[in-house]
Amino acid sequence: MMNAVSPSNIPDSHDYPVICRNLRKRYGGGFGGIKVLDDVSFSIPKGAVLGLIGRNGAGKTTLMRILVGLLMPESGSAMVLDEPAAYLTDAAKTRLGYVPQEPQSLSWMTVEAMLRFVSSFYPKWDHDYMWNTLMRWEIPPSRRLAKLSPGQRQRVALIRVLASCPELLILDEPASALDPVARRDFLREIAVRAGEAGTTVLFSTHIVSDLERVASHVCFLHEGKLLLDTPMDDLKETHARMCLSREAAAAVSGRLPGELARRRRPDGGMSIVLTRKGLEAWPSAVTAGGGTLEALNLEDLFIEVTDHPGAAWFRK
Amino acid sequence: MESDELVIQPGSAEPIYRQSAQQLRRLIASGRLSSGDEIPSVRDVAGRHAINPMTVSRAYGQLELEGLLERRRGKGMVVAPVRGRAQSPDRRLQQLQPLLEELSRQARELGLPADSVIEKLRALWETE
Repeated sequence: MMNAVSPSNIPDSHDYPVICRNLRKRYGGGFGGIKVLDDVSFSIPKGAVLGLIGRNGAGKTTLMRILVGLLMPESGSAMVLDEPAAYLTDAAKTRLGYVPQEPQSLSWMTVEAMLRFVSSFYPKWDHDYMWNTLMRWEIPPSRRLAKLSPGQRQRVALIRVLASCPELLILDEPASALDPVARRDFLREIAVRAGEAGTTVLFSTHIVSDLERVASHVCFLHEGKLLLDTPMDDLKETHARMCLSREAAAAVSGRLPGELARRRRPDGGMSIVLTRKGLEAWPSAVTAGGGTLEALNLEDLFIEVTDHPGAAWFRK
Repeated sequence: MESDELVIQPGSAEPIYRQSAQQLRRLIASGRLSSGDEIPSVRDVAGRHAINPMTVSRAYGQLELEGLLERRRGKGMVVAPVRGRAQSPDRRLQQLQPLLEELSRQARELGLPADSVIEKLRALWETE
């Protein structure tokens, strides 16, 4: 996996706007604390669009807040734009765009006043983009932010970061409050910027179809652990679900090579999610009789590897 | 050709780069696209379908490798002349690659040994 970071293989920080190693965070503290992030390591190559999928409470927001310096990890390191995330300089902050899940800041200002005020901090502010998008996304510029609906407020927050033309975008569930037209518009903007300006994007979502379009890389975050970190195109070719009849399931002893998760089916059969390197052959158990192999889309795969109590035993 | 002639199904189990490459192959094979025809730019396709440009580049790169597309200065990608396409047996064989992969996958799932499949193929070949 191209993104895996091991101590002997530390990527060059210029090519990787985000590099995290062994991040841990607990809430509640002490031994009774709940692990929110458990030894999370990954990095994002420049120009990549990394989609972070996880259920509610998986640790996505915590991870993002650490990356933008709003939270300190208990241990581990996070480097963002070549600087420690907890101590970003003002210069680095102008190259970073972050949209939290529920943007609230400066809510006493009107949309236009807030955007004008914020624009003064960003040398590369794109006024055309700002006005065009306000119009396309039907935001009344003279309305106070506090009077906007949550969806409108999220749209304004997206316009604010996109108009600042950042090198790195960190977006927490950015599309959740967008209607289908605005959502497509937003995804298109991300896709084109990554391709042309080399903008690096990290966005979390549970809307898997958005991610399938636009992401170049995918991470699954589950119960504080990173379960999967793969280039998007490879993901569908290197994962499959093997369905075994009751007889074939009985013949399977122990874990199969490349096994990610398994589930008993009501009929006594079993389904096993497998991964392989490149396009090598699948394990021979498939052909042992009664086995079929199904391709998985991203949503199937996510559900298969996270929707059972034993999911967390699997570590990459 | 226009970008929206491509049909992209993000939720499919087939990666988007394969979907796009396969559609272009079919359009070329069926003659709907002929040599010299311009292919929409990566930006166009990515913007139109809101998909990652790298995915589109990958599809184009693969077709270029197969000799189906070529890069023309100032024009972007165009469909390659038929002559260039037919040159090497390797290239022609490469066009069968997805079919062969699918065949071998299905044969394996059915638990068939490779020899019996090859034998059947040869028999078919000779009756054609």
